[in-house]
Amino acid sequence: MSNVRLSLALFAGFVAACGSPGTALAPSGEPLGEAAGLTVRPIFTIAALLLEPTELRGLVAQPYDVVRSESGEQRIRQVLTSVDGGETLRIESALDGSLRFIAKSGVTLEGGDMTTSVAVARALRHLVRLGLEIPPGGPTVSQVAARTIVVWTRQVRGVPVPGDGTRVVLNGAGALVGLAIEESALAAPPVRMARGDAALRAATLLLPYGATVEDAPDLAWVLPTEGAGEPVGQRVSRRLAWCVSGALRDGGAFELQLDAGSLALLGWDGVP
Amino acid sequence: MVGAVLLAAAIALAPPPDSAVVFANRTAFAEECTGAANALPDRLARQARTAFAELGWEVGGAVGPAFTRRSALTSAGVAAFYVHSHGDLYWDTAANSRVGGFRADAGLCLGAPILLPSEIASARRGAAAASLVFISSCHNGERASRLPGAFGIAQRKVQGGNEPNSFYVSYVGTAWQGAALRFERAFWRALLDGATAGAAFDRALLVTYDPTHLSPEWWGGYNHMPHAPAAGLPDLGGRRYV
Repeated sequence: MSNVRLSLALFAGFVAACGSPGTALAPSGEPLGEAAGLTVRPIFTIAALLLEPTELRGLVAQPYDVVRSESGEQRIRQVLTSVDGGETLRIESALDGSLRFIAKSGVTLEGGDMTTSVAVARALRHLVRLGLEIPPGGPTVSQVAARTIVVWTRQVRGVPVPGDGTRVVLNGAGALVGLAIEESALAAPPVRMARGDAALRAATLLLPYGATVEDAPDLAWVLPTEGAGEPVGQRVSRRLAWCVSGALRDGGAFELQLDAGSLALLGWDGVP
Repeated sequence: MVGAVLLAAAIALAPPPDSAVVFANRTAFAEECTGAANALPDRLARQARTAFAELGWEVGGAVGPAFTRRSALTSAGVAAFYVHSHGDLYWDTAANSRVGGFRADAGLCLGAPILLPSEIASARRGAAAASLVFISSCHNGERASRLPGAFGIAQRKVQGGNEPNSFYVSYVGTAWQGAALRFERAFWRALLDGATAGAAFDRALLVTYDPTHLSPEWWGGYNHMPHAPAAGLPDLGGRRYV
């Protein structure tokens, strides 16, 4: 793996370069700095793995950018554009250099009916080729709008972290459309866990007349602000919650998320 | 004479070509109806409003009880349309089939009026195909929904030659609001980054929403750029997506 070590000074320079578009960095695999600090793989080494040699010709690297992911993680973003300004490839790396996100633009809508096992094999092949860790456990595979999504959901202490994990999106022929690796911060679990039946009783008290709840609540690590509050710009830790599902009087499904210790309401989700 | 007056009135009432609307059902998801405070409809609508405005559209519409059947039909002729509400393959007695559609807010927890595709098609009679339609509801991404056709958009995906200048997004099956919030946020962000509608959709698929909670679908032209005609392309600092 060809890594580029960036000094903190260079990193500060890249931050300053945000918002100064059009000043392309020269594509180079050479080290940009050797001081202790940040490590990222240059986008051209990723592009060489994903694009045909003819597609690489004339591509220009845009200035590095520092962004935040959905889970609030700070990342370094690199973008490759063609000569006419069209974006070809975008990658994001965590500050420790781990590759977190790849998006190829304009991947063809090829037909094809990949079986689940073929889709998983293709996704694994892409992960291996990119030098990424094979996630533990079995993935779920879904077909969405002429794309196939292969998802390994992260589990911590046997409890799922919905939305976290590794996600690979393929076209109908198995070509990579993109991948995303998300790992949210988690709060410490409660010292004393409430029982599932207590969670059910607490949820029942919150619901309007006519709503029914399912018998077995599930544990999950959830974002406490998701239902009611505004998203915040920094990392919000997920909390362990009892998720109580049910149906409202009109049949609409809902899920209440209650703190696994205090049973305080953390969030709400529903079906429109 | 009467015909001329009606035509003049229709022209006067027709939304200008740079118009967009954003509607969201707040009441059906409010605490008095569900038992839990839920800001998701407002957040979804705010995301869409902000994106439409930054894409150059003049944005109207309503969130909450002012989102009525009448207000939605009156503005259905716009070029960019977003709604978040209950949706289903509702029965159309005239068509004698299930055809899709969505509910208005109208200040009701249950039984709010339904807007059917045929009614939207009538309200849009004479209007060009919409540029961008986002039906943030259950079921209207399914083949059986006639909402795309009501907005002049054929149910096919085109990438390459002869692409329509239209893009339609909705969800297949049941769509959870939490997952929709993440998917739509990523879709709007990518559009504002200069992505084509199809590339923005692909980007949004990479957001780590739970796939069992959301199954998005699209129809139209992959490379369509759904900005207002008068606005031109957003300033991307020399970058754009293909």
